[in-house]
Amino acid sequence: MSVLLTLLGKDFAILIRNRGALVLSLIVPMLIIYIVGMVFGIGRSNPGPTSIPLAVVNASSDPAAQQIVDSLRAQGTFQVITNYVNADKTTRPLVEGDLRPMIHDRKFSYALVIPADLFSDDRIGLHLKILSDPRNEIESQMVNGLLQKVIFSSVPNLLGKSLIAGNRKFLGTARNDQFNRALADNIASTFGGDPKTILDNINNGNFGFNQLTQSSSGGAGNGSNNATADFLARLVKIDQVQVVGKDVKSPQATQIVGGYAVMFLLFAVSGSSAAFFDEKNSGIFRRLLSAPVSRAQLLWSRFFYGVLFGLGQLTTLFLAGQLLYGVDVTGHLGGLILACTCVAAACTSFGMLLSAITRSATAANSLATLLVITMSAVGGAWFPISLMPAFMQHLAHYTLVYWAIEAFNGVLWAGDSFVQLLPIVGVLIGITVVVMSFSVWRFNKSPLFE
Amino acid sequence: MLSIKEVTKRYASLTALDQVSLEIRAGEFFGLLGPNGAGKSTLMSLVAGLRATDGGSIALNNVVLSTTDASTRMQLGLVPQDIALYQELSAEQNLRVFGKLYGLKGAELRQRVDETLAAVQLTDRRRDAVKTFSGGMQRRLNLAAALMHRPQLLLCDEPTVGVDPQSRNAIFDYLAQLNREGLTIIYSTHYMEEATRLCSRIGIIDKGKILALGSLDELLTQLPFEEEIRFPANEQTAWLVQQLASQGAVTTIDGIHRFQPRPDYRLSEFYTLTESHNLPARLFTSQRPTLEALFLHLTGRNIRE
Repeated sequence: MSVLLTLLGKDFAILIRNRGALVLSLIVPMLIIYIVGMVFGIGRSNPGPTSIPLAVVNASSDPAAQQIVDSLRAQGTFQVITNYVNADKTTRPLVEGDLRPMIHDRKFSYALVIPADLFSDDRIGLHLKILSDPRNEIESQMVNGLLQKVIFSSVPNLLGKSLIAGNRKFLGTARNDQFNRALADNIASTFGGDPKTILDNINNGNFGFNQLTQSSSGGAGNGSNNATADFLARLVKIDQVQVVGKDVKSPQATQIVGGYAVMFLLFAVSGSSAAFFDEKNSGIFRRLLSAPVSRAQLLWSRFFYGVLFGLGQLTTLFLAGQLLYGVDVTGHLGGLILACTCVAAACTSFGMLLSAITRSATAANSLATLLVITMSAVGGAWFPISLMPAFMQHLAHYTLVYWAIEAFNGVLWAGDSFVQLLPIVGVLIGITVVVMSFSVWRFNKSPLFE
Repeated sequence: MLSIKEVTKRYASLTALDQVSLEIRAGEFFGLLGPNGAGKSTLMSLVAGLRATDGGSIALNNVVLSTTDASTRMQLGLVPQDIALYQELSAEQNLRVFGKLYGLKGAELRQRVDETLAAVQLTDRRRDAVKTFSGGMQRRLNLAAALMHRPQLLLCDEPTVGVDPQSRNAIFDYLAQLNREGLTIIYSTHYMEEATRLCSRIGIIDKGKILALGSLDELLTQLPFEEEIRFPANEQTAWLVQQLASQGAVTTIDGIHRFQPRPDYRLSEFYTLTESHNLPARLFTSQRPTLEALFLHLTGRNIRE
């Protein structure tokens, strides 16, 4: 028994002395649980996506249209954009013509157009248009569902008004009034109630769609709800216009390949930084630095190796994506090489940073695991960042994973030109320059030999 | 050739080198002898330009060395204490890498690789990965990598740690040959046998200070006795140690008493004493003092402590 206890105690003693292992075994799982919890809205007062930029062009003068806009604003889900900001910082209301270029420029991914003829005497129901860049399938489906829910649940009376208008057009005002009176009387005599109140409701388009929409959004998939949803869908015509990525050959694979590629690359360069310590510990650093070799040259050579290795790995991943899932790689070769180079450089600089700020391979590995997983989760490699709380969405912009995914999506999904890629590439190059500068400075300052 | 003047190096509160001064002459085989932690590797690192001094200066051929000036390093070769080789690469690939770092290329590089591999008797294993080599072979290649660019000064920082006797002898023979050919060598070790066998001049270092400096003979004259008497440490001789305590120093290492008499003590008195107690003469051996005795004399400690 004492032998068992001794061996048991030994293992705990090793664990306690190995801070890296402690971090890996305790902090990383907690962090992942926290992030996943945030994504799925656990413990949040307002679960679900938040602050998704949504442009709304309201060309209708009908108060009901404004009611839709107000309803969208009231939702925490959307950050409603209705104005176009000119170069001189003045603003004007958005028009439909603004939307496509702004979606291409990633100002927002979704736009709702409420046309001037929201109600038309020529047809029954509402006519709306949603323009989108569905670069993220999960987010896109969620946004469409939420938009429809808001429209259906917030302005049910619009449907009634539309029905009445269509009816009046079809029957003529006199016959329509006569029809409505007869309908009200029949309802009152069959089901009870005040014929005048019923007639007022009919004339105002108040057909009780409120209850319908509430029941359709509430329960899960029984026949009644399906019928209601089907009924509403027939009355509300929403034109879905995919602005970006409609020619992509393999949309689903294209949407996810970037995130996973950058995550694997980060793990690879982290391993490379650990190999840096092997050289240091084996005495090779002593030999190299006693030769006409500077510390900066050591770090930069490792950096360029990382970039080339990263390029190789990304090329392999994307070619596999093309061969296995039909991702169009060869069609975007130029942009992809540019994006891969910049992403590989940024990821490698991250590896160099780990080498510069940690003092052992174990510490580097532990920190790498912590940061790679965190950056991948927060940066959008696993889930759409719109599913996260606002502060995490803000945080995402400070991760290189986010920008790497933006670059890959820009090339493969949006088919961005070199010029269109420049802002993202600029951010990645900026990350590389800043991180490498700090790493070289830190590496030069740090004691290499104990 | 190498001038070390009042060099000081500190690590936080620890003074690793304390105003060390040394002059190494061209063609010399200089031994730096001291226990672990004495400051040998620190001094080697400073000469190799791996660390900056906190005081004093080091000049090679009248050019002051610095950690940022790479030009003087062309004249230096460092054999680190560790096996500083790329284990996955072959012997030949390792030598090519290190040769290229010193500017060798083309036919000259190929020739140097061939010559160096032949010199350390690894030609037949040139294409094998270093990780498949024995410890002795790796040590030989470790030495070879420092010689690719034909340095003027070779710094050997305990290059035979963990090496089998056969490989150690091979390394010694090769270093002696290189020294005969004119290469200046600084060899740090805590093995006095190595320093005695190889070095024409020895500096004894402890706690960051050079305690003694000179050839083996010069160093040994610093001892206050010419002979050391050794006898086994057992019950039979226990009383003798007490008797001798006032006549000189008695230390015990590995079960052997070592009596180092005062200069005015006559050894005839010792033998009279032992005969009177019927201790057989075969128990006692008289030896010329060693560097170990000198280190003990200088520091009061054994070099292996």
